[in-house]
Amino acid sequence: MQQILSVEKIEKYYGNKGNITKAIDNISFNVNEGEFLGIMGPSGSGKTTLLNCISTIDHVTTGKIIINDQDITKLKKKGLEAFRRDELGFIFQDFNLLDTLTAYENIALALTIQNRGAMEIDRLIKDVAEKLDISGILNKFPFQLSGGQKQRVACARAIVTEPSLILADEPTGALDSKSSRLLLNSFEKLNKEYQSTILMVTHDSFTASYANRILFIKDGRIFNELVRGNDTRKEFFNKIIEVVTLLGGDVGNVL
Amino acid sequence: MFSKIAFNNVKRSFKDYSIYFLTLTLAVCIFYSFNSLDSQQAIQEMNKNSVFRESLELLMSGTSVFVSVVLGGLIVYANNFLIKKRKRELGLYMTLGMSKAKISRILIVETLLIGIISLIAGIGLGIIVSQGLSVLTANILSMDLEKYKFVFSLGAMMKSIVYFGIIYLLVMIFNQFTISKYKLIDLLNASKRNEEVKLKNSFVSVLTFILSLAFLIFAYMRILKSGLNAEDTELIITVLMGVFGTLLFFFSLSSFFLQFAQKNKSYYFKNINIFVLRQINNKVNTNFLSMTIICLMLFLTISLIFTAFDLKGTIDKNSANTYPFDASAFLVADQKEDLAVNDIEAYLNNIDFTFESYEKHAFFDEYLLDLTIEDLLSKYLSEEEQITIQENYLYGPVSALKISDYNAILKLKGHEDVDLKDDEVLVVSSYGTILQALPEYMKNEDHITIEDKAYAIKNDVPIEENIRINKGSSFFYLIIPDDFTGNLQLEFSSFNVLYEDRYYNKSEEKFSTLFNNLAENKYREIHPGLVIGSTIDQIKERENGSAALFIFLGLFLGLIFIISSAAVMALQQLSDASDSLERYKSLKKIGVTDKMINGAILKQCLIYFLLPLGLAVIHSLVGIKAVSGMFHFNYESVLISALILVIIYGGYFYATYVGVKNIVKGRN
Repeated sequence: MQQILSVEKIEKYYGNKGNITKAIDNISFNVNEGEFLGIMGPSGSGKTTLLNCISTIDHVTTGKIIINDQDITKLKKKGLEAFRRDELGFIFQDFNLLDTLTAYENIALALTIQNRGAMEIDRLIKDVAEKLDISGILNKFPFQLSGGQKQRVACARAIVTEPSLILADEPTGALDSKSSRLLLNSFEKLNKEYQSTILMVTHDSFTASYANRILFIKDGRIFNELVRGNDTRKEFFNKIIEVVTLLGGDVGNVL
Repeated sequence: MFSKIAFNNVKRSFKDYSIYFLTLTLAVCIFYSFNSLDSQQAIQEMNKNSVFRESLELLMSGTSVFVSVVLGGLIVYANNFLIKKRKRELGLYMTLGMSKAKISRILIVETLLIGIISLIAGIGLGIIVSQGLSVLTANILSMDLEKYKFVFSLGAMMKSIVYFGIIYLLVMIFNQFTISKYKLIDLLNASKRNEEVKLKNSFVSVLTFILSLAFLIFAYMRILKSGLNAEDTELIITVLMGVFGTLLFFFSLSSFFLQFAQKNKSYYFKNINIFVLRQINNKVNTNFLSMTIICLMLFLTISLIFTAFDLKGTIDKNSANTYPFDASAFLVADQKEDLAVNDIEAYLNNIDFTFESYEKHAFFDEYLLDLTIEDLLSKYLSEEEQITIQENYLYGPVSALKISDYNAILKLKGHEDVDLKDDEVLVVSSYGTILQALPEYMKNEDHITIEDKAYAIKNDVPIEENIRINKGSSFFYLIIPDDFTGNLQLEFSSFNVLYEDRYYNKSEEKFSTLFNNLAENKYREIHPGLVIGSTIDQIKERENGSAALFIFLGLFLGLIFIISSAAVMALQQLSDASDSLERYKSLKKIGVTDKMINGAILKQCLIYFLLPLGLAVIHSLVGIKAVSGMFHFNYESVLISALILVIIYGGYFYATYVGVKNIVKGRN
């Protein structure tokens, strides 16, 4: 199976001499095509920094991040913009939908900035709406949609460009449990039926239980790794809870 | 502590709201410059004429009040904008336990600081600008300044300080009011409030747009057909139609445009045009009222500045007229008095004024006949010309001069005498240039009947040389035989003077002093008669003076209007940029490049600034065309008005573009 993402010994320091905070301290891992990877960890563990580094929003201090055989730590500004546009799809906790645009236009925006043709845009949007079951709400504005619907529109926007990697930052953070379940089912469907590669950061054990594999991060280091294998989701969830408990003192933060 | 917060806020505001400071400073600067007019050298020359001085003072104080009301409105509006934008910050102070009174105090200190800084900067700038203005003034008044003199007006400075002081005081009071109204929860959630998106039926928006165009075109047609000469109610209807059309235009434009753009897929799906179009649609939808007002203000500005400069050109052309005499005066006859009192020669004797031997002069009497212009020409007057007569005050009894008096005037000019038989008359008039009826009349009729007696008209075309120089450009005289038997009513008793070149300055001084004294009623105790006189120089000065007044007022109001409208646009754009910050962040997150975002900002600013200007320019073109009959259309005035407009408006546009870019870039 082809390797999509390879993170090699990356470190990220904040601050200056004498007062250094290591947000990421020597992390390495790989993600294969079609994988659904979860990253868990308490607040301040460095998971968002990690995601920011992978998504090229932030720069690593040392180490390499290779996506599709391209070392993104060496890219210049122009290259970064193009890379972000063409290779990555983002799903955010707060959706980041433009409130002035309809759902359709929000999805279209991701395509228009790639200079796709008008006919192609229309076809692609119809397809992705079908996949995520949002065909009926395409002409509505975000303020007319529920949280779950909004996140599925955001999800559609992220995958419509067929990126190599979908990055999701706490996608269920702003959703109620029913909407979360619906969204995660969509993720599962995308992953299983359309072989999308997903990297999801979360601190919610239930959300994490939808992933194939989970990395636990604490104080900037990989603390543990769980692979779902042939477990049912219920079994996997229980294993996650065990690790979370193991993570120690700050359980409260984790749950 | 509080003043420290206030001070830091002001420092920060300098960066964020440079537009606000720019506007305040410019407003003070313009206000000072125009109020400092009276201390300018050239104006001081003119001020020797009391009539000019009084009208200047009256106009300036009147406009100053009007302008300060406009500026006060603008500043309160702008300040309100800024307070609204700072809701979160104020909410933060409140959560920290600061009382409203203390927050108010911070705001008062802030306003005070901003006020003082902008006043100092504005007056400083105003002093520089007024130096340039004094050169312009001298130019307008066609005067040569022998040497440069530094212009500073204490009065204007005090006036600026007082007027703006009051405005800032109002702002403070307004702020207190705003603060006391707010609830903490609203302050903290201010930025989270969702934009209300107005959904409109596409059919309705297209219909409204077409309706607005219909209104505008209809109003244009009306004004082009009738000009400004229409009756008042008709004109008001036209203006109302124009205003309503403009309002509907901005109300429906963006929705219509959006509909239109959405149909054109290849345009709509290019780059982030979707976003730009929706942004504009949103903005114009919510701000259509202010856009309408701005459009109309710009229209006024363009018309004002254009008219002011054009008037100057017109007057310059008029004063190229040649005057046959160096000075003229007339005594207004009082019907109750006997002839001796109504004689200007006797009047001059009374006040001990004598002509030198080298001051050649001619006395003459002007009479009114029992015949009116409209009766005389009634057969040849079209309906439009009837109106022209009314509007230019050409109606009323016909004036007449006896042939011996007329010959005396001709002799003074060095012309040959004219012989006139007992049953003949001469027509001396400039009406031919305004009324087609007069040449028609002269061509078709060879007799004039006055009180049932027919007189042959001796000339075929009217003589267009004026009787005296202060008669004005429209005149109509019949020259009648000396033993005219009809009813004659004495109107004026007059004289003309011609100086000799050698003593020109001496005579000019003598007569202009006489006429100034007459204007100030210095001889009323000696003689009750009303005498009015002018020398050529006085006439020219008066014309230049009124040209100057018009230009100053046009410029003053025009500049204030354009600054106000540009400032409102700029502030709306800037505050909108902060409101849309989240949207720009989202755009960046999904991979929109900085270049695309800057392009989108530029497009929005351009469209937003150009929309009202575009319609205003079209309005002005139609308006100027409608009044073109009154003006000599010259390209110089078009150029100057366009230049002023472009510099100020363009400056605001650029500042806004940079400001919005900084807001979007800076906080990411």
